[in-house]
Amino acid sequence: MIEIKNLVKTFKDGPVETRVLKGIDFLVRDGEFVAIIGRSGAGKSTLLYQMSLLDEPTDGDVLIEGHSTRVMTQDEEIRFRLEKFGYVFQDYALLPELTALENVALPLLMQGADRVIAEARATEALERVGLGNRLGNLPGQLSGGEQQRVSISRAIAHTPSVLFADEPTANLDKESSAVVMNIFKELHEGGQTIIMVTHEDEFARFAGRIIKIDDGRIVSDARV
Amino acid sequence: MFSFTTIRVGFYLAVRQVRRANLWATGLIVFVMLLTFLNLVVVTGLLVGIVAGISNQFRTQETGDVIISTLDTKEYIENSPDILSFLYTLHEPQVISARYRAAGTIEANYLARTDPNEKPNKTGTTVVGIDPIVENRFSHLASYVHEGQYLSPSDYDTVLLGPQLVDRYSFGEQPGLTPLKNVYPGSKIRLTVNGHVREVVVKGILDVSANSPLAARVFMPAPEVRQLMGRTDYAVSEVAILLPPGADAPAFRDFLKRSGLAAGAKIRTFQDAIPNGVAEVQNTFAMIGNAIGSIGLVVAAITIFIVIFINAITRRKFIGILKGIGISGEAIEISYIFQSLFYAAIGSVIGLVVLYGFLVPYISAHPIVLPISDAIIVAPVGGTMLRIGLLVLTTVVAGYLPSRMIVRKNTLDSILGRD
Repeated sequence: MIEIKNLVKTFKDGPVETRVLKGIDFLVRDGEFVAIIGRSGAGKSTLLYQMSLLDEPTDGDVLIEGHSTRVMTQDEEIRFRLEKFGYVFQDYALLPELTALENVALPLLMQGADRVIAEARATEALERVGLGNRLGNLPGQLSGGEQQRVSISRAIAHTPSVLFADEPTANLDKESSAVVMNIFKELHEGGQTIIMVTHEDEFARFAGRIIKIDDGRIVSDARV
Repeated sequence: MFSFTTIRVGFYLAVRQVRRANLWATGLIVFVMLLTFLNLVVVTGLLVGIVAGISNQFRTQETGDVIISTLDTKEYIENSPDILSFLYTLHEPQVISARYRAAGTIEANYLARTDPNEKPNKTGTTVVGIDPIVENRFSHLASYVHEGQYLSPSDYDTVLLGPQLVDRYSFGEQPGLTPLKNVYPGSKIRLTVNGHVREVVVKGILDVSANSPLAARVFMPAPEVRQLMGRTDYAVSEVAILLPPGADAPAFRDFLKRSGLAAGAKIRTFQDAIPNGVAEVQNTFAMIGNAIGSIGLVVAAITIFIVIFINAITRRKFIGILKGIGISGEAIEISYIFQSLFYAAIGSVIGLVVLYGFLVPYISAHPIVLPISDAIIVAPVGGTMLRIGLLVLTTVVAGYLPSRMIVRKNTLDSILGRD
């Protein structure tokens, strides 16, 4: 369970202050699939970064399973992200010198898994997204859709509590986007908590709940 | 902190980054490390080797491994025949060269001098009486004859001259040394020893470096020098002993002392007999070499720093992603340390192969001929290992610092490429 309390984020550029999030409150229960939508510049990605501990809010708090994250050190945040979160980025964010298998196995190794076990779990995760035959390929040898599926495999291989996805279909064609969204749907049906930022309404409809952001505030929060 | 897991993940990342890096870039970095290694070891080794060349000349051309010489209060070694007889019974010596040594003068162009007020072309020298065959086995003296011929035991009234005594070969006038002009093989010169004057023929002229002990000497067969010195008791001035390679010279010296030979002579190893100044010059050259090597080390550190910094800064986004997915900063830093270690290790290993597989044996067999000496490369394994350690340590620090700088940056800023 993630609880967002009066979240504020302000960016400073010299004397100019820009308030991107203006006090956001909501709660995401375990097993929910939440889509955060809004026009460009509304603050949806900024909200995702604060929730997923990639960035620190100016004010307010993010509570995970009832525990405040404001007092966490950077090392604790990294450890927390490793153990509890999975990330799918808009531009896939794969390491170019690692094969698909190695990209997925890396967080498992960091968790202390034996290499054989890590690679077995990575293989399983890649097979789950239909890439069992591309284990040894470098990201440069994969299409955009395939890279995003590797990214999803990396995010779910260690069975995180929450899967964060930032515009996962933005760089993909319709067909690949549909494949990715169906994977999310399957994961959700399996009980995975997913928080996804998107600006495409048709993909937001895969979620069970849609939160609309505008000008740094929640303007609607509806269950589908 | 650096746990087993962070080291393992760091190594995992480093291996893949190196393996899939641009081959030319990797080759260039390794080449820089190789040059740095050679700069560290070879420059110092060569500078020390120049002096070692001088020392080596003393050993191979004069003292051998152990030298028996006159006491400071004597002009000859007492009981020389007994000492030599004893030495000839021993199995350790490879060659034993007994020599007579006397101060003398040589004069050239005396027949052409018409004006009695004209300064004679004359110089002081050391005249060495040798057994030409034994001496050639000892110091390969015949191989240094540049003009004319080597001595034979039956020669009479013939001499070999060191190059410093001959005007066209000398390295300029030195105090007490006036090189002879117009002297060639076949020229007659006037030799004076112990008040005895003899006209002799120059049979050969040597070609050795300025610091060679042979450079300013006159050689002639021993019986003639003995005659000139007026000696009738066969007491020689010095006995140089060459031992087999690897023999323990100090142990042999001590054995001779215990055998009672020290009562009438000085018994010293080559190291004992080497002039003090040479050791000081050797230390000075080693210090200069270390100073030059240190500059090389700094250059290597800067090179690695720049390489790793550029690598880290261009990969800042990926470093951010690694942190974003939960890879610790330490693991990322360790991956760069491993990369630096790889470059240093490969450069050093290739350097070791080049050094000990080629440079040292080749230069030992074909010394670099310099005016001061025939230089070799002195690269003791211990010193080389110390320098490799320094290089690796410097490289690790130079690799760690830039990676630390980039890893410490805000994770999200790194991912999004924000400053």
